[in-house]
Amino acid sequence: MKNLSILVVDDDPVILHLLEQRLKRENYQVQAAGDGYAAERLLRQQLFDVVLTDLMMPGDIGGIEVLEIAKEINQNTEVLLITAHSSVHSAVEAMKKGAADYLEKPINFDELFLRLDKIANLQTILRNAEDLQVAMRTTESAASGTIQDLEIGMARLRQNLDRVEEILRNEGQAEDLRIEQALGILAES
Amino acid sequence: MIKIAPAELKTISQYIQQITGIFLDQSKSYLFETRLSSVVEAQGCRSYQELCLKAQREANKKIEKEIIDAITTNETLFFRDKGPFELLQHKILPEVIDARSGRSPLKPSIKIWSAASSTGQELYSIAIVIKELIRDASAYNFTLLGTDISESAIVQASYGKYNRFEIERGLDKRFLQKYFTLFGDSWKIKDEIRAMATFKKLNLMQPFTNLGKFDIIFCRNVAIYFTLDDRKKLFNKLGESLADDGFLVIGSTESLTGICPQFIPKRHLRSIFYQKK
Repeated sequence: MKNLSILVVDDDPVILHLLEQRLKRENYQVQAAGDGYAAERLLRQQLFDVVLTDLMMPGDIGGIEVLEIAKEINQNTEVLLITAHSSVHSAVEAMKKGAADYLEKPINFDELFLRLDKIANLQTILRNAEDLQVAMRTTESAASGTIQDLEIGMARLRQNLDRVEEILRNEGQAEDLRIEQALGILAES
Repeated sequence: MIKIAPAELKTISQYIQQITGIFLDQSKSYLFETRLSSVVEAQGCRSYQELCLKAQREANKKIEKEIIDAITTNETLFFRDKGPFELLQHKILPEVIDARSGRSPLKPSIKIWSAASSTGQELYSIAIVIKELIRDASAYNFTLLGTDISESAIVQASYGKYNRFEIERGLDKRFLQKYFTLFGDSWKIKDEIRAMATFKKLNLMQPFTNLGKFDIIFCRNVAIYFTLDDRKKLFNKLGESLADDGFLVIGSTESLTGICPQFIPKRHLRSIFYQKK
């Protein structure tokens, strides 16, 4: 099983079935939705790495709306749009709204698999970066705790040493008294 | 990747230190290689030494800028490390506002400096804290200055646009919706926050002229790349730029012990800030 979960959305049952089968044969985890409404329901139920959706679909939830819903639920979900040649300009508009890319009909499967590979690679890198960041934060916060304690401790010692110096230099007082006081401060530190 | 020859390491690291303050010793030569290799190639040079010579001879300092951009780390996040911002919100800002209010009929003036602002995330995070804390920020005269050695970082900071990898981590979703606008695959800081901040190029190794005194200075995770001597110089200069009752915030793993005795560390919650003796 490849580690990308994909939601395929198309109102044409033949294309939907074809996409689902081809992707499953490539070992992706695939779910299919026959329109925008079904897509929204699935998107709200589970997280997908990729949404592959037709741009033009009947009803209030077309490809752009699927894109918006997917991105609103999870910014890291990548959306690929399928578009007829005549609506390439709307696909470009969709890219401005955060779509990862678009594919023109008829779908070239080699091209689709290449895009999916790229997305999978990117997500692996992202996940690694996140893991590293968590590790770094953990180390950093442990280190900063230690450093803060040392910093405050050192400042307190410095302050005490300054007081000791002041006491010892205070010639207005008897020497044994000064030494006693100084020792008292050192004992506290 | 082009390798650094042992013989040229000293020349290169001296040159880098001179232009950026960043001190990279032998153990970090891989850092030069990963960051500068592409510049060496793009300039058609055969070695790092040749690149440094070419950069030094160039009158318009274009190559030098490229080297600075390549070598300086721009890794920064919104609200990187929550501690300093909680400190700002719960301790520093209330105290500064209190100290500056009611002393004259004029609006209280509060100056904040992000001394190594990189691409702006820290200064904008500070601006967001101010907006969240103070209902009517216009009742005060806030000056928020961000400076950085890298010109391209300053350009990006001024533009205030971040891709989703630069933005999502660290930033509360609520803040994202409230203070940013979606712009393709990126987010742009809203004008109300953008307008609060000013960015300009500044090399912390050079004199700070015409900056004036600040009430709050953030200088986090920059001095770690400097030599002890340069760190002392930097924090002494920051001391001169800080109001007598001002606040200095440094990186959470940094220390001023033995570096700048005029600063006293103080603890608040999980964070430390410094004030002048």
